[in-house]
Amino acid sequence: MKPFDIVIVGGGGAGLYAAMEAMKTNPALNIAVLSKVYPNRSHTSAAQGGANAALANKAKDDTVELHIFDTIKGSDYLADQDAVDILCSEAPKIIRELDNIGTPWSRLEDNTIAQRPFGGAGRPRCCYCADKTGHTILQTLYEQCLKKGVFFFNEYFALQLSLHDSRMKGLIAMNMKTGKIEAFPARTVLFATGGYAKMYWNRSSNAAGNTGDGQAIAYRAGIPLKDMEFVQFHPTGLRKSGLLVTEGARGEGGYLINALGERFMSRYAPEKMELGPRDLVSRSIETEILQGRGFDSPAGKYVHLDLTHLGADLIKSRLPQIREMSMYFEGVDPIDEPIPVRPTAHYSMGGIDTDNYGRTVMDGVYAAGECACVSVHGANRLGGNSLLDILVFGRIAGHTAAEEAGKFEPSPITADEIAATEARLRSYMQPSGHFERYGILREELGQTLGQNVGIYREASKIRKGVADLRELQERFTHVRVNDTSDVFNTNLMQVLELKNMLDLAETVAAGALAREESRGSHTRTDFPQRDDEKWHKHTIATIEGDRVKLGEKPVTMGRYELQERTY
Amino acid sequence: MTGAKEAHTEPKRDITLRVHRFNPQVDGKPYFDDYTIQVEKGITVLRALNYIKEHVDASVSFRAFCQAGICGSCGMRINGISKLACTTQVWDELDRCKEPGVIRIEPLRNMPLIKDLIVDMDPLVDKMKHYSNWVVSSMPESRMGKKEFLVSEEEFQKYDKATDCILCASCVSECTILRAHKEYVSPAILLKSYRMNVDSRDSIHDARLGELVKDHGVWDCTHCYRCQETCVKHIPIMDAIHGIREDALEVRGVKDSSGAKHAEAFMSDIEKKGKLVEATLPIRTNGMAWTLQNLLPMAMKMIMKRRTPPPPPLVKPAKGIKKFREMFREMTEHVRAEKKSHKK
Repeated sequence: MKPFDIVIVGGGGAGLYAAMEAMKTNPALNIAVLSKVYPNRSHTSAAQGGANAALANKAKDDTVELHIFDTIKGSDYLADQDAVDILCSEAPKIIRELDNIGTPWSRLEDNTIAQRPFGGAGRPRCCYCADKTGHTILQTLYEQCLKKGVFFFNEYFALQLSLHDSRMKGLIAMNMKTGKIEAFPARTVLFATGGYAKMYWNRSSNAAGNTGDGQAIAYRAGIPLKDMEFVQFHPTGLRKSGLLVTEGARGEGGYLINALGERFMSRYAPEKMELGPRDLVSRSIETEILQGRGFDSPAGKYVHLDLTHLGADLIKSRLPQIREMSMYFEGVDPIDEPIPVRPTAHYSMGGIDTDNYGRTVMDGVYAAGECACVSVHGANRLGGNSLLDILVFGRIAGHTAAEEAGKFEPSPITADEIAATEARLRSYMQPSGHFERYGILREELGQTLGQNVGIYREASKIRKGVADLRELQERFTHVRVNDTSDVFNTNLMQVLELKNMLDLAETVAAGALAREESRGSHTRTDFPQRDDEKWHKHTIATIEGDRVKLGEKPVTMGRYELQERTY
Repeated sequence: MTGAKEAHTEPKRDITLRVHRFNPQVDGKPYFDDYTIQVEKGITVLRALNYIKEHVDASVSFRAFCQAGICGSCGMRINGISKLACTTQVWDELDRCKEPGVIRIEPLRNMPLIKDLIVDMDPLVDKMKHYSNWVVSSMPESRMGKKEFLVSEEEFQKYDKATDCILCASCVSECTILRAHKEYVSPAILLKSYRMNVDSRDSIHDARLGELVKDHGVWDCTHCYRCQETCVKHIPIMDAIHGIREDALEVRGVKDSSGAKHAEAFMSDIEKKGKLVEATLPIRTNGMAWTLQNLLPMAMKMIMKRRTPPPPPLVKPAKGIKKFREMFREMTEHVRAEKKSHKK
């Protein structure tokens, strides 16, 4: 097979923007996008709220500088300030570009792109399309990629990087439709596979496939991961399913109410109330529940998100999806009744360590989006900054890969290597000893992470989590794939996804145990203060044997000095 | 409060999912497997399928991703109707079972079957490409990112609902034309085409429309409304289809294609007689030569069975035709006036 100049793994917002930009940079390049789902199914579609950009359409005094400050403060000063600079400066340009190619943004009265308030932001700067922003952005990007003739390999499951003495030769993937293992020799590989928060399983808002495939592949190839302990819990997941109720619901004026009928956020963020940053609101809800002021139900304890005072018209026009989801999954119409919610694992701030151009430490390997950690979100991401991140850094990484592809000489991936991979996958169908069920392991993984490495963490609990993960890894060697067919073997795919989650979960737990402080989404009850002296730095996780080895990396500072973070 | 109500456990019962199975490597033809499991109220069909895959039979294959009704992966036919498994409650389906307690789960129709409940989506993507289902911006690439287009609320409203489409292909599966003609453009693609064509930022309106009026295009729809009835996002797909047709008649004229001519002949019959002159309809739509070549054998059969429509002179105007003509004129004028005011 002719080697590709760029193989992009993942067809969400970051992957598609990267493909589009790479083709624009050099139309002569041979570019492939691999995705385990049809690109329009990617999890970008689930982003409801919007994307931040200081367009100053709504608040005329908004500036890029204010956006930068909000992002750095929101990150609890763990974001790299030069990266945040790029994110926020590029934001207005990228939102306009999306408008120029057909994204159906909602509009203000003067016909400009609409903006609304979002948590942790000093001005209403979140650009949106009703509550389907991510969906419409993804559709637009997919349409434009089809227009440009991007070469898609849909329903291909990425397995591993092919390496020769730590030099990258390309990617090996499974064609789901045929079950065949295929080689993609490539000058560059760009990972854009999304986040890993699905490892919390039933306590996660993520799609079933957000299993950190790209991060796990990179990690096993020796590429470092950064800040993996930072997992954001979104304050308002639906009680039964963990599915998400957008922050837009609070942006539009929704209240959080406990079982005593109090708007309890007045205790935690008297000024911003429900629009405090996510980590703070999540902790507040968790505290209310732990102190016995939550509602009780067989599906767990929860609080109310009350929209009833907003009126039927506003709910129907601005939050139609939320209304539909509340009715489908909770049997509650938010026009008449409050929605039962509780925090749910939502976003992974950590990911593949990249520089500001999307490069990893390995030549020819790039990463962007939730899969990467530049880092612009630090210890806590602001609402409306994740769509922005995938767009801005998807584009930058696509551009970098296109510029640099010529630097790397391709070399073939041997038939032996393919055969070895095939044999490894086949071995899952005949494990030795007793058999384990992957569904049970997956549930236990989510449980131990939720209990021991969840919103509130402490050393003894995390150690329990680490031990549980070791045990799960051992039991995983006995998991049996019962479906032995080649065609569309979703059983095999889910088992491989479980392995990716298990490997990454160990890096999350290791980071959480090491970081003896509380910062952003990472809250240690045994170290309740932020400790800038010891811990104002990134953690770096690399693989050594089959264990996590932790290192560190300094935070890039800039105009903003460390401050206490209050709202 | 709800808290007290929730403390009760949800009711449970045994149900059977009768699942369509087909593995192309071993099965000559599809068959059904019955899985009887206990479910509690509030469980979706997708969660029931997940349970079966995890605990009963790992080989049952289906697509699922977001599990929240937004990615469109889990489209399948549940008790004969195409919908998303993740937003369908098992409890609701129990009322619709032909055999009590047995829910039939089948793959979407009108697309090639791959395995069990999984169909090939590539033909749909190919059609997206064929009908240019993307905005070709009126702004040159070099100027992009500097300025936003100004879009009025009124224009946004025109495509707002259409952009709800998640390409789950439920409408494709239910489309009665596609069952006869796989080449038919299909409802989802018409919806997307319409969405592009009413967008003022787009610059290839006429070319896209030109493709839509060709064979297998917008005029092939027979208004059965199945697509709209089953749309999981409640999008008025037929409004989009009518929108494209009206646009085509206006931009390309009534003599443009057989579809347009057919509509024109319909209108004139209704105006003159208040009913159709069916005998000459094919001639006025497709011309004499085409009709003789294609419809003569059927006409012979119809004569044999005495099912021929009456010859034109025998089609008398309907009762109350005078009053009807007045109403007809009023309606036509009203529609014209409305169109004019829209254009402003």
